[in-house]
Amino acid sequence: MDPLAGMDDSSTDDETTSQTTEDDPQVPENQPPQPQAPPPGPVPQAPPTAAIGPRERPHYSLRHTLRGHTQSISAVKFSPDGKLLASCGAETVVKIWSPETGEFLRNLIGHTQGLSDISWSSDSVYLASASDDTTIRIWNVETGLTHKLLKGHTKWVFCLNYNTASNLLVSGGCDGDVRIWNTARGKCMKTLHAHMDYVTAVHFNRDATLIVSCALDGLIRIWNTSDGQCLKTLAEGHDAICQHVQFSPNSKYILSTAHDSTIRLWDYQTTRCLKIYKGHVNAKYCISACFSVTGGKWIVAGSEDHKTYIWDLQTREIVQVLEGHTDIVVAVATHPTQNMIATGSIDSDLAIRIWVDPRPRPSA
Amino acid sequence: MNESLINPFTLSHPTAVQTSFFAGALFARFDATGRFIAAARLNGPAEIWDLETRAPIRWLDGHVKSITSIDWSRNSRYLLTSSKDWNVLVWDLASTCDPPQRHNSIRFDAPVVSSSFHPNNSQIILVLLATGEAYVCDLRKQHKSRVELDEDESNGQGPCGSSPITTARFDPTGKNIFVGTAAGYLLVFNTRTKTMIARHKISGAGAMKGLEFTKSGRRLVTNSSDRTLRQFILPTYSPLPTDAELQHHTYPPFLDVELEPTHRFNDPINKTAWHAMSYSPDGDWLAGGSADPSGHKIYIWDISNDGQLASALDGGREPLVYLHWHPAKSSLASTTNQGSILIWHHPNPERWGAFAGGFEEVDENVQYEEREDEFDIEDEAVLHERKMKAEEEEVDIDTVVTGAEAAVLGGKGAQSDNKGGATTPVGNGISHFMDTDKLGSVGLGDDLIDVETAWAEEDPDGDTPGGWKMKVIMEDEAADYY
Repeated sequence: MDPLAGMDDSSTDDETTSQTTEDDPQVPENQPPQPQAPPPGPVPQAPPTAAIGPRERPHYSLRHTLRGHTQSISAVKFSPDGKLLASCGAETVVKIWSPETGEFLRNLIGHTQGLSDISWSSDSVYLASASDDTTIRIWNVETGLTHKLLKGHTKWVFCLNYNTASNLLVSGGCDGDVRIWNTARGKCMKTLHAHMDYVTAVHFNRDATLIVSCALDGLIRIWNTSDGQCLKTLAEGHDAICQHVQFSPNSKYILSTAHDSTIRLWDYQTTRCLKIYKGHVNAKYCISACFSVTGGKWIVAGSEDHKTYIWDLQTREIVQVLEGHTDIVVAVATHPTQNMIATGSIDSDLAIRIWVDPRPRPSA
Repeated sequence: MNESLINPFTLSHPTAVQTSFFAGALFARFDATGRFIAAARLNGPAEIWDLETRAPIRWLDGHVKSITSIDWSRNSRYLLTSSKDWNVLVWDLASTCDPPQRHNSIRFDAPVVSSSFHPNNSQIILVLLATGEAYVCDLRKQHKSRVELDEDESNGQGPCGSSPITTARFDPTGKNIFVGTAAGYLLVFNTRTKTMIARHKISGAGAMKGLEFTKSGRRLVTNSSDRTLRQFILPTYSPLPTDAELQHHTYPPFLDVELEPTHRFNDPINKTAWHAMSYSPDGDWLAGGSADPSGHKIYIWDISNDGQLASALDGGREPLVYLHWHPAKSSLASTTNQGSILIWHHPNPERWGAFAGGFEEVDENVQYEEREDEFDIEDEAVLHERKMKAEEEEVDIDTVVTGAEAAVLGGKGAQSDNKGGATTPVGNGISHFMDTDKLGSVGLGDDLIDVETAWAEEDPDGDTPGGWKMKVIMEDEAADYY
C-alpha cells in the first residue's frame, strides 16, 4: 500500500486508462464495469500487460443501427459465409441486410403471419423461416423467391435449424412436435411428439446424429435423428423453464438459457451442469444466447434490462455490457469469422444493432 | 456421436430390416462414410441415395449397357462405374452441375467385369475385363499408363497359357493387388511395379469368384466355385528390392506357397452358392449372401468366436443378389433381384427411462452404500463455495476431435470402431481401427512413409475429408419421379 502512494499522484484523474489490476489493487476483478455509452469511434484501452494477469476482455462498440422493421424483431442470423444478415419478426417478411455496410438489401415476402425464427443453409444460398401461419418457407436468398413451402405443423412454428450438410431441417412447433424435414424434396420425414408445451428451440449437433430440443414444459431432450428415439432428458429445476438450447461448436456441450435469469452450460453425457452464467435479467421472454469463438471465448446473450451481456466462457464473469437498445434485447447472433455481434430488440426499439470488436484475434 | 447415449450392451450385427428402397437396382454399395448408397440400375444409369433423407439425390447417366461394378473413392467424392459397354467412367460428385457430367472415361476392347479405385488415389484404377485380363490404369499426368497384370511376364519365363483372371481387388492399403484366377490361384501383384510378388494355390477351390478384405487388410475371404467361403490370414510380403538390385536383372523371386484357410464357410444342407460376402468394420463378423433362389437369406458368422454361425437373416421372398456391410455401423445393405435395397440394422429398443431426467437404467439391482457424510447438514455457504470452485474448470467448446482420433484417444477398446466424424484416410502405416488381429496391422514403421504409399499419393486427386461438399440440389415440384 505505502510504496504505491507515490504512484497515485501521477494518475489520479483518469481511472479508465489502465484496467490492469496489478498496479491498482483497489479495483476488484468482479466489479461490474461502468456502462459504456457507444462512442462514435472506439476509445482504445490499454491492453493487458501480462499473460497471467487479468483475462482478455472484448471491446465491442456500435458500428451500425439497422432500422426498417415496423414490428418486433424475433431473430437475427448471420449467413455462414458472413456476407449477409437476415432478420425476422412479427412483420410477415424476412429482411436481408449487409452487415459490413449496414444497408438493407431486400425483403423476402410470402408468409401471411409473423415469423419466429430463421436459419441459413451451409452454402448461404437458402434460408428457411418459421412462421405463425404454421408453414416453413425455404427461400432462395438471391432471387427472393420461395423455393419450397413445408406444411405439416398444426400450430405456430417457433424454431428451426438446418444441419451442417443442409439436407435436413428440424423445426419445433407450439403443438409440442418436433419435425424433421428433407429439404431437397420439402417433405416431412419424421414427427417426434417431443414435448407437452411450446417447443422453443431445436438444434442439430455437428454430424446431425442428435437433436436437442427444449420447451416451456421445462425439459431439455436429446433425440437420435435416424430413428427419432429419445436418448436423454435434462430436467431443469422447477422455476427454471428453459427457453433456448444449442450445442457448442464441437457438440460436446449444451448451452441453455432459462427463465430464472441464468444461462447454463451442460455436459450432456454426464448430465452435469458445468458452468452457470448470471447477471442478466430473463424471466418472461424467449431470449437466445450464443457462443462467440472468433476472438476470445465468450457467451453472448440479450436481456430484459435492454442490455446485451458478454460473459467470459471459463471464468463466468461479465466482461462487457453493450448498451444502446431502448427495449428488451431478444435476439443475438455472432458472425462466423469476424468479431461482430448483431442484436435485435422489440416493440419500442425496432432496431438491429451491429457491434464490432476491432482488435485483432489473440495469437494464443 | 450418439453412440455414448445409446445403450452399449447391444450385439454388433444387424438383425432386422430398417427400411427398403424400391430402387430398381442390380446391386448397391455404401460409400466410405456410410451416408450414401450407390445403386446400379438396369440398362446403364447409376443412382445415389442419401441415407439421412432416404431419398435418391443424384442420377448418373452415362453407360449404354448395364453397370457391372461401382466403387467409391475414399472420401466419397468420386464414383467409378464399369459396364458391359466396354467403358469405365469416373464421376465427380463435387461438381455443381445437375445432372452430373462424367469426369473421366476409359475405353477398353471388351466388356468390363469390375473396376476399383486405389484406396489412396482415385486416379489409379484397377480394371478387370471379361476376357480375363486385368489392367492397372494410371491417370496421373506423370505416370500415365495402362499396364496389364500378367503372371508370366513377371516370372521371366515364356508365356505358358496362364489361366484367366476372374476377380481382382486392391488390398486396403493399396500396396498390393490380389487377383483370383479360374484355376483356383490367388496371385499378388505389387501396385507400383506391377510385378507378381506371390502366388498362392487354394486347394480344392474352383475358379475364384470374389474376394473381400477386412478393413485392416490382414484377413481375406474368398468365394469360389466350390460354393465355399474361405478365410485366410495373409502373410506379410517382403518389401520389394531396390532399383539397384533390379538393374542386375535378378528377377525378385515371388512367394509361391499354398495358403491354408483358417475357416471354411458353406451351407452344409443345401450347398447353395454365395453371391456376395462382406466383413463388419471391426472384422469380427462376416456376412454371406446366399444364392438361394427361394428366398433372401443372409448368414452371419462370428469370427471372434471361431467362426460359428451367429444368425441367419431372412429378408423375404425376393432372392438376394448382392450384399454390403456399412463401413462403420452394424448395418447391411442387401439387394434383391427385384431391385429393392434392404437396409438392415440392429434395432435399439426405446429406453423409456430417457424421457425422465435423472434416471439411469442398470442391468442389475445396485445396493447403494451411503457415504459417511451423506446426511450431514452442510453450511449453505460451503456448498456454494464448492459449487463455484467446481465451475472454475476449463471447458473446451470448439476443438473438434474426429472419429479416428477419438477412438485412439478415448481408449475405449473394442467398442470404438471408427464411427462418427470425418473418416481420416489410412495413410502412412498407423491403423486406427481396433481389429481382432492387431499383429501387423501397423505398416512399415509408424512414421516412415514407405515407397509404395508415397508413389500412390503423388499427384493427389483432390478427394480430401472436408475438402469438398455434396451440394444439396433442391428439386423442383415437377421432378418427383416416384
